Amino acid sequence: MPLDKVTQIGQTKPLHGEIPVYAQYTFGIAGERFFREIKDKGRIMGTKCSKCDLVYVPARIYCEQCFGELTEWLEIPGRGALHSFTISHVDLDGNRLKEPIVVGLVKFDGVYGGVVHRIGGVEPGQVSIGMPVEIVLKPKTRRTGSILDIDCFRPVK
Amino acid sequence: MQRRVAIIGVGYTPFRPITPDMSFKEMMFEAAQKAYEDAGVCPRKDIDAFVTCEEDFTHGRSIFNIHTPDNIGAVMKRIHTLPAESLYGLADAFMLINTGLVDVMAVESHSKASNMLTPDYLVAHAMDPVYNKPLGYNPYFIAGMEMNRYLHDSGVTREQCALVSVKNRANALLNPDAAYGDRIAMDDVLESETMFWPLNRLDMSSPADGGIVMVVACEEKARDLCDKPVWVRGVGWCSDAPSLETREWGEAVYARLAGEMAYRVAGVTNPRIEVDFAEVDDTFTYKELQHLEALKLCAPGQAGFMVEEGATQREGAFPVNVSGGSLGVGRLDEATGLQKVLEVVLQLRGEAGPRQLEDVSVGLAQSWRGVPANSGAVAILSNE
Repeated sequence: MPLDKVTQIGQTKPLHGEIPVYAQYTFGIAGERFFREIKDKGRIMGTKCSKCDLVYVPARIYCEQCFGELTEWLEIPGRGALHSFTISHVDLDGNRLKEPIVVGLVKFDGVYGGVVHRIGGVEPGQVSIGMPVEIVLKPKTRRTGSILDIDCFRPVK
Repeated sequence: MQRRVAIIGVGYTPFRPITPDMSFKEMMFEAAQKAYEDAGVCPRKDIDAFVTCEEDFTHGRSIFNIHTPDNIGAVMKRIHTLPAESLYGLADAFMLINTGLVDVMAVESHSKASNMLTPDYLVAHAMDPVYNKPLGYNPYFIAGMEMNRYLHDSGVTREQCALVSVKNRANALLNPDAAYGDRIAMDDVLESETMFWPLNRLDMSSPADGGIVMVVACEEKARDLCDKPVWVRGVGWCSDAPSLETREWGEAVYARLAGEMAYRVAGVTNPRIEVDFAEVDDTFTYKELQHLEALKLCAPGQAGFMVEEGATQREGAFPVNVSGGSLGVGRLDEATGLQKVLEVVLQLRGEAGPRQLEDVSVGLAQSWRGVPANSGAVAILSNE
């Protein structure tokens, strides 16, 4: 007997489903200290691999180049330059944002990594690659120990 | 033991924006049926091992891959599943056959993207949960940032990127299995909605559904079963650093290193001369250009000029994404890499219909896993 296929769109009735997934994420040894330093002291800290001469931001306990363990911490100046950026017009549901958001990767002098965050205090059309920017932290009382303790990066005045 | 490896059968469902009439399991069944018919094999008797390549959550469930053996004839057989891009599945088959562990193997991948109602959330959940995801942005900002840096470093223009979209959607008009064939102009791309500046809506591929199965065999079985074996001469794969903070933004390092491996395995020393055509990842327009440079299929910094001069057109000196690519066929989730391989196989067999290229003997297929990943694989295929 040949296979009878569905030939009427009205015969197709998908079942709707959802997966509630609740989880917690461990910051880890490096993440705990990285966020505590921002929350309590308002500073960005990195870890250094002396062998590769690389400084990691966000801080981590291993070097992705030589696989070495990183134990040396150092403070990173809160000023950097925009490595790249985009102007996002769309939210997670695919809807147009009322105000577009500038998102960028800020790299710091002599640092291997950087911070991905919102670029604020500037019209989107005025943003450019290489632009010097500085960190804007939330007031200390409103910091909770997350990446959102950073409000944004803004152009250096 | 080093054995030659060939693709001896392909089967697929047409690539469509939606597939309301078939479950993903039925799509797999249809693609497998066609592939086994094409190869002249019975999966229960002739196929030693199977690999399937898909993600759980794109199916709206967890550990979905426990449900892939039955509909491709793999129950009580050796099967393994990859939560990875499907060109990695072909690489697995290459290794298992090349080393003599199995003789005949099936590789499967599919997309049922139309069933996912919250696709951008799914991608957002793939970002680092501590450093990136809490920002709450649509995750395709990563593509906008990457395009901006690539244009900055390479000198490629938005106009040149737009021409990739024009070319690939037009190519798809000659591919009856492509979902997004269209005749558009460069200005249509440049004037389409800005999504993640400089990335516009028509710079981005749209999702499609489809299933693909390939039968891969050792030389002895290939010569026995198949008139037109397509030889897998080399495979390569690579991942750049996963973190957004330390990865390379201008160059597709993963593609360069995967390409170097594939060329080494295949014995290709001058890809621009030895490879006749390519299907490379074009999830976004700039990706095609970035990948052509990384794969050394054009001189450094020349990818933009190549598309401008028409060299990558179907009639050009080095055709790229004749199938329509992801921009024209549709983005097939993890099955994207197998779609690239499929087109190379059809071209090398001379079965590509109205879009058939003349005098081609070596083709390259390359995949990228998509946002937020930066990994990918390459395969070099030949009909000689």
